[in-house]
Amino acid sequence: MAGRPKLGKRILLEKERYILILPAIVWYVIFAYIPIFGLSLAFKEYDANLGMFASPWVGLKHFDRVFLDPAFTASIWTTLRINAGRLIFVFPFPILFALLINEVRLGRTKKILQSIYTFPNFLSWVIVASIMINVLGRRGLVNGVVTNVFGAKPIAFLGKPEYFRPVVFITDVWKTAGWSAIIYMASISGIDVEQYEAAEIDGASRLQRMWYITLPGIKTTIMVLFILAVGNLMSGGFDQIFNLSNSATLKVAETLDMYIYRITFKGSVDFGYSSAVALFRSVINMLLLVVADRVSKAVGGSGLLG
Amino acid sequence: MKRFVSLILALMLAVGIVCAASAEEKQYDRVTITYTCPQVVAGFDYNAPNGDGYSRWILDKFNIDFQGTNVSWNDWNSQLITWINAKDMTDVAIYNFGTGTATEAAKIVSKGLLYKLPDDWKERWPGVADVYSKTSLGPYLEELYGGTYFIPRARFYYNLPGDPLANHWCLWMRTDWLQAVGAEVKHSYTIPEVLEIAEKIKEQDPGQVGFDLAPLCMDTGNAASFFLRANSTYWDTFYKDADGKYQWGAAAPQTLEGLKYWFQAYNKGEGVLDPEYYTLDHEKDMEKFQTLGTAGISYLGGQTADVENYRFTFKERTGHEYEDFHMANLLGADGYYHQQDLINFWGAVCFKPDVDPAVFERWMDLMEWTCSEDGYPATEMGLKGEDWDRDENGEIISLRDPADPIPLTGGIGEAKYPSLGHVLGSVILWDDLAMDNPNIRKDLREESRLLYKLRTDESTPETFVKVDWNLYMNDSDALRAVNGIQYADEFSNMVTTAQSEEELVELYNNWIADKQAIVEPAIKSLNGEE
Repeated sequence: MAGRPKLGKRILLEKERYILILPAIVWYVIFAYIPIFGLSLAFKEYDANLGMFASPWVGLKHFDRVFLDPAFTASIWTTLRINAGRLIFVFPFPILFALLINEVRLGRTKKILQSIYTFPNFLSWVIVASIMINVLGRRGLVNGVVTNVFGAKPIAFLGKPEYFRPVVFITDVWKTAGWSAIIYMASISGIDVEQYEAAEIDGASRLQRMWYITLPGIKTTIMVLFILAVGNLMSGGFDQIFNLSNSATLKVAETLDMYIYRITFKGSVDFGYSSAVALFRSVINMLLLVVADRVSKAVGGSGLLG
Repeated sequence: MKRFVSLILALMLAVGIVCAASAEEKQYDRVTITYTCPQVVAGFDYNAPNGDGYSRWILDKFNIDFQGTNVSWNDWNSQLITWINAKDMTDVAIYNFGTGTATEAAKIVSKGLLYKLPDDWKERWPGVADVYSKTSLGPYLEELYGGTYFIPRARFYYNLPGDPLANHWCLWMRTDWLQAVGAEVKHSYTIPEVLEIAEKIKEQDPGQVGFDLAPLCMDTGNAASFFLRANSTYWDTFYKDADGKYQWGAAAPQTLEGLKYWFQAYNKGEGVLDPEYYTLDHEKDMEKFQTLGTAGISYLGGQTADVENYRFTFKERTGHEYEDFHMANLLGADGYYHQQDLINFWGAVCFKPDVDPAVFERWMDLMEWTCSEDGYPATEMGLKGEDWDRDENGEIISLRDPADPIPLTGGIGEAKYPSLGHVLGSVILWDDLAMDNPNIRKDLREESRLLYKLRTDESTPETFVKVDWNLYMNDSDALRAVNGIQYADEFSNMVTTAQSEEELVELYNNWIADKQAIVEPAIKSLNGEE
């Protein structure tokens, strides 16, 4: 029996495929792997004259400072609360969208709906935040209804900490759910049509087909995206939080990303300290990713890390 | 013979004219100069022949191809410091020297990331050197760094209002509303007095504004200045107590007192302060006063250069008269003016470490000219002979038609000279000339001069204090950690969160206790107890 061809030969044989993924590999090397060396600044006293590599090592000095600042630990909890909320309230929406859009029979209506749901993804968070301020502000649409229809006092949606997380989740769903649903739609399109035909002949309702065929068919995709979302529990959403927050919501809005932004750009510039915080965040994210992967496998699902 | 003599005389005259011209006008080769400052007008081409009349004239005079980079005000410090550290700065930049960036400046200089001016620069550019000597920061840094790396730009040169230098911030008040509610129109108000007037405005709504009325309107930063800075001199920094030991100003009783006034004004969104003040972006508070006419009192800029422009915009947009716009000083509850020395500079010129000598000398020549008798007025008033001149007594006179609707300065398409400002070489800032600028109404200039004077008169050496260079220049890790505190946002959060004054005090005390972890090391470092 002939052995497996060597890597070089395999690449040569499959060169078209490798050429196709080459841009992605180059992108990852340049923008994801090379910058990893920058994390070494977490253990160095950055000296611009000496550069990143020649700057002197200072051990764990920056990490001592990290845990000294109570705002840092507070920002970890804030991040976890917001991102856990995202997992519960935002994560299911693209699945729901995909399932519902899949049930639309008219191809044209389906495309129109898909375009409408996808469009908000192309708006920047600056625009979305401006819209929200106008909609939820004292003079906004919602308060217009509250005061004119119900005769109540305007509600400070933008100034009450208790409204901040719901606003984050709602805007997140509005902006990203349609776009994220594309992955599930693609996954649904891979399900064998014969299963639906057989189920229909057996008298399964649309809801039953959705529940017993479509959902199990995209389970792997859901698990992979869930694991990735868990791996991002300590980061993500800086643009959104930055644009939607204000001094009144400071205590519920200073996520780890916001904290890093503040210590890096609002106080004294200190690349070593900022890198230490960023490294800490990345390590926790990695741990969460591994744990989620293991748990997924343990309960019989598919994993991400082989 | 006669013809020969005539020829000789003609030749001598020609040589004389050429020599005189070259003595007056230095001939320059063309240089390209790159420059960074938030005041660079984004999208405006300063160069001849595209620039406005002033930029064309001055860039031709110094034969400069000017390439300005605009940085946003918010990112000014971080971007410029990043560029300097990355050895990617422009030939010339304006460094935003101040608490927080002073420590970075020391590091940057020690790393050789900025150009050290030649030892003889003061002899070569005496005008710049004289202005520099009045900035107090310049000579101090020179001694500290062992050479000149920064040329701070002086706020005042001929018209320095006092030492320590007062800030420009002023109360903007609606005179007509004040009179309608029976409040006295005067030059200074304490915080409680302003709150009392704001209460009356809220009750009586003299402008019939209704739902949108904001008796007191300011964004978070200006609210912090109004309630805290004006009441507690050291609200966001450290100070030396009677024993000469450093203490944290945020924990001083006057800071809590100011915070209580802030809470009283906000009163859970039902007080006199704009109920959504925390959502107001930069200058949105100004818009409510100046454009919409829905605000009764704001706390905003009061530079002499702008006192007429502010009123002009107010009149244009709200339809009210100049006289309905009143400016006044804000005093603490103790009746005294509170402030830390503004220090007589704003922004410091610096050069990249390997700047081309021709570029450096050209920019210095340009700066020298802006300090001259002709250059100093031109930076604000435009071209001599066209926009201004001097009378037989040497006094500056305006040649502008008072009816000309196009202002001298302003945005592209709005003003005659969008390039006018501090970008093209100014070392003396507008604050100074504004006090003598005949284009600004004399009574408004006089009023502004009086307000500056009153700030000094209505203060004590304990409430209006000179700069503490030891603190200003401190570069310890401990102090850097404290510099990250966003005081205005933190205090504002307490005000909007608290449901009662007792809860406010509790939040404040918890916050003070919470911050001790980073504040105590800073105090120890300042007191040399490490």
